[in-house]
Amino acid sequence: MANNYIVDSVEALEVKLQEVREAQRVFATFPQEKVDAIFKAAAVAANKMRIPLAKMAVEETGMGVVEDKVIKNNYAAEHIYNAYRDVKTCDIIERDEAFGTIKVAEPIGVVAAVIPTTNPTSTAIFKTLISLKTRNGIIISPHPRAKNSTIEAAKIVLDAAVAAGAPEGIIGWIDVPSLDMTNLVMKEADIILATGGPGMVKAAYSSGKPALGVGAGNTPAIIDSTADILLAVSSIIHSKTFDNGMICASEQSVIVMKDIYDKVKKEFEYRGCYFLSAKETEKVRKTIIINGALNAKIVGQSAFKIASLAGVKVPEDTKIIIGEVDSVDISEEFAHEKLSPVLAFYKAEDFEDALKKAEQLIADGGYGHTSSLYCNAVTEKEKIDIFAQRMKTCRILVNTPSSHGGIGDLYNFKLAPSLTLGCGSWGGNSVSDNVGVKHLINIKTVAERRENMLWFRAPEKVYIKKGCLPIALQELKDVMNKKRVFIVTDRFLYKNGYTKCVTDKLDEMGIQHATFFDVAPDPTLACAKEGAVQMTAFEPDCIIAIGGGSAMDAAKIMWVLYEHPEADFMDMAMRFIDIRKRVYKFPKMGEKAYFICVPTSAGTGSEVTPFAVITDEKSGIKYPLADYELLPNMAIVDTDMHMTAPKGLTAASGVDALTHALEAYASIMATDYTDSLALKAAKTVFDYLPICYDNGPNEPAAREKMANAATMAGMAFANAFLGVCHSMAHKLGAYHHLPHGVANALLINEVIKFNSAECPRKMGTFSQYDHPHTMERYAEFASFMGAKGKTDEDKVENLMKMIDELKEKVGIKKSIKDYDIPEDVFMESLDRMCEDAFDDQCTGANPRYPLISEIKEMYLNAYYGN
Amino acid sequence: METLLERSDKKIIHEGDTVVKIFSADYSKANVLNEALNQALVEETGLNIPHLREVKMIEGMWAIVIDYIPGKTLQQLMEENPDKLDEYMDLFVDLQCKVLSKRSPKLRKIKDKMIGKMSECKIIDATQRYELQTRISSMPKHDKVCHGDFNPSNIIITPDGEPYIIDWSHATRGNASADAARTYLLFVLEGKEDLAKKYITTFSKKADIPLQLIQKWMPVVAASQSLKGKEEEMEILSSWANVVDYE
Repeated sequence: MANNYIVDSVEALEVKLQEVREAQRVFATFPQEKVDAIFKAAAVAANKMRIPLAKMAVEETGMGVVEDKVIKNNYAAEHIYNAYRDVKTCDIIERDEAFGTIKVAEPIGVVAAVIPTTNPTSTAIFKTLISLKTRNGIIISPHPRAKNSTIEAAKIVLDAAVAAGAPEGIIGWIDVPSLDMTNLVMKEADIILATGGPGMVKAAYSSGKPALGVGAGNTPAIIDSTADILLAVSSIIHSKTFDNGMICASEQSVIVMKDIYDKVKKEFEYRGCYFLSAKETEKVRKTIIINGALNAKIVGQSAFKIASLAGVKVPEDTKIIIGEVDSVDISEEFAHEKLSPVLAFYKAEDFEDALKKAEQLIADGGYGHTSSLYCNAVTEKEKIDIFAQRMKTCRILVNTPSSHGGIGDLYNFKLAPSLTLGCGSWGGNSVSDNVGVKHLINIKTVAERRENMLWFRAPEKVYIKKGCLPIALQELKDVMNKKRVFIVTDRFLYKNGYTKCVTDKLDEMGIQHATFFDVAPDPTLACAKEGAVQMTAFEPDCIIAIGGGSAMDAAKIMWVLYEHPEADFMDMAMRFIDIRKRVYKFPKMGEKAYFICVPTSAGTGSEVTPFAVITDEKSGIKYPLADYELLPNMAIVDTDMHMTAPKGLTAASGVDALTHALEAYASIMATDYTDSLALKAAKTVFDYLPICYDNGPNEPAAREKMANAATMAGMAFANAFLGVCHSMAHKLGAYHHLPHGVANALLINEVIKFNSAECPRKMGTFSQYDHPHTMERYAEFASFMGAKGKTDEDKVENLMKMIDELKEKVGIKKSIKDYDIPEDVFMESLDRMCEDAFDDQCTGANPRYPLISEIKEMYLNAYYGN
Repeated sequence: METLLERSDKKIIHEGDTVVKIFSADYSKANVLNEALNQALVEETGLNIPHLREVKMIEGMWAIVIDYIPGKTLQQLMEENPDKLDEYMDLFVDLQCKVLSKRSPKLRKIKDKMIGKMSECKIIDATQRYELQTRISSMPKHDKVCHGDFNPSNIIITPDGEPYIIDWSHATRGNASADAARTYLLFVLEGKEDLAKKYITTFSKKADIPLQLIQKWMPVVAASQSLKGKEEEMEILSSWANVVDYE
């Protein structure tokens, strides 16, 4: 089944290429089992012919050793087959149902294979076999010096493959190689497997097709003082004499530590190597390298023959001729790659000197290829690590003959077997490992849509009911055996005795306590730091935050600074897209102190959320921190603490809780769990906030409803997160000193309108958010609130009316302007505010991805109360 | 009228202020015209060279007429004043670098010329021809003006010290390293090993080209030189040409 015509011209080659391409098109449809049968048959056939092919190669090229070439052929057939027999290379090679991914292997097409003179049959066997296993066609460009043996090897593989069912013509070759044809093959093929000199590799890379080219080696072998000398010397001799030194990974220089130099030299002599005298060294020098290039006549010849060419008499059975030289510079002939049983021998002062010499030898002409070290691998791990760091080679062999070691699977069974060794970018290659089947397939990944896992997280203990505080606190003694409690609160609450019920209880239980009461609204980093200093001095095993959002948030930050003074605040504040994939890993909390929140107003929800907002007093910037490590351990929701909250605070916090519910409901991360909490919380706000506002101190039932509503809304947004209303409210509050709840109240209807758009400019990015459906969501929400309407639009319209009415009932004004913010001041800050709001952490969960200009429009509408 | 040189294929005569190069009747017309074209192209680069006056037929033979440049060749001067060798070598290399700094897009490309020449080489076998062609094609694509036979006998220094470069029949455009390798080979072939070494060191330094790059062209220029068929050069040329790239 050989070429039925001679490929000896560019025209004939064009025809051949077409033939291979057509055969490959058929081959590409073959299933794995059929391909495996073909792969096996081809490997077996090549293996059977290992001796005739070896003889032919030596005869034709006049280089190398028949018996060693037999091993190479055997290896190429057997080890390659063995390594890939069960590897999937066709169609679906991997399927992951849970993640919804499928990997599909496809052949690349036609491989152009350039085969060198040094391994003309084994490389041909290797490249044809891996091409067959991957359903590729292959066209071989043999070297003219070895064309008959290379073609014979290809023919054997082809015949066996076709007999086993492969399409005829799946392997082709050039019968009479020329530069023009080699270049054409490389240009026409889909990928190039080039092995050969730098000229050929360069030609491959400049052909414009992806190339797996491999380059020159110049392997140095260091023999360390700790090495097993017998093993080292015999390994090097074994490797260097293999096929007369023609494996590109073969040792070219030996670098011996000075304290064992004589011993090593003696061992080399004892095992049949010949050390050249100074005069003889000079003669060999001028013979092996001519004008910086390798003399073609010495490649793959015996040591005796090379010595004779140089006019040096050595015993006929000499294994290697060795020149003791000093220079590792490229101007030293012995420092070159010699592809023959000629070795350079260096003496190193110490390990560092040896490393330097090895580095230079690699730079001389072996970048990316192979390096070798002999040492005691048990005691000298550090030397191995240093050697590995310093050598710019892709194979670093330890106590291993490098010819056999580099090609893999003979002296180490994790290094892939291959006759094409990638040299990485250092060697101008696209691959740095041993080339195998994975380099000859295109892998397609099929990725089905999957939804993100979500969660529901809340403090381990949430205690509720009017008067529950002292009972809950009893646990500190009975269950947790706490000794020292640090209380964080604000001055107003402290002065008005709000903390007394806590401290009395602690005194009663005999628990020591200290109180920090300097938290101001919009707490600053300076305040948190000050509290942390006191906390650190006091060393509490429990922290109790009593107050509204400010006290609880400040306490959370103090807690972090107390437990992890080393943590960087800016890292913690870094904005993220997905809380699970954030760059910064939040430190583990709770190792020093148990954290308890006792809210005194119904709104913030901070007692059950993983969030804390803190202001940098220097820059005025508000940093929202978010991480479940910040989740309090216990929340105590006791209405007794809420009874006397002032009207303004009741109104602002109550509306804040409503916006929490609304945003958590509209969030792209909303779940059934958060939905139910949000709906119930919002309904409660509509029903009870006006009562609390009008007559709070006398309406304990309404107060309790509101306290629960705020905590429930907090749980909803602790998991579903918020949206652009809060993004904008954060910045509006910061720039114009509006209470947080009021800021939200002024913006929420604008945001509802914005999010309801059925055709938004951009929707939010989240796998489970499949289409813009927020109008529908708001309509559901509206119905639960009791809003009527025939259509979703009507319901949402009525929901907004209900919100306006509620705001009016609790004394919230209609526009930003009404809060006495002058138009010029507002306008002056507007652009910065828009950009900051866009970049706020809360924007990410909003169902509609806002443009900065759209934020601006909402701000303007809210300013004028349109 | 004075005969300056006479070979089987050409005769060079000094006539008044011109030099007339008369080619034998069987000399390729294309080669004559190409030599005249080279001369004209290099003239346009502004280098100091004798100008082309005329291309004509003399008694059925093609002839090229150019300016006569009075003076001594640099080779004569080197032989006459061995103490000034360093100075002359500097001048020689400077002149070569000046040529290499010029561009002339219509000259033939050296890589094409050399790949073609390799096919005709007899001192190397088919395998080695393939080896050298691969080597040439992997060389970088440059376009410097190369003289192609740059040696001290092709430099004339006029009595007032002005240097002129003559004989542009081998001019190409391409790689400086190739031109330097050729010059180095010419010194070696004349048995002037020391001068060759001095030259290559000076050139490498002044042109800022590493020796290794120049050496890459040595097997190529050696194979090319073998086409001249000089028996006495064959041994050295063959040893230079029969080298391989690493594998």
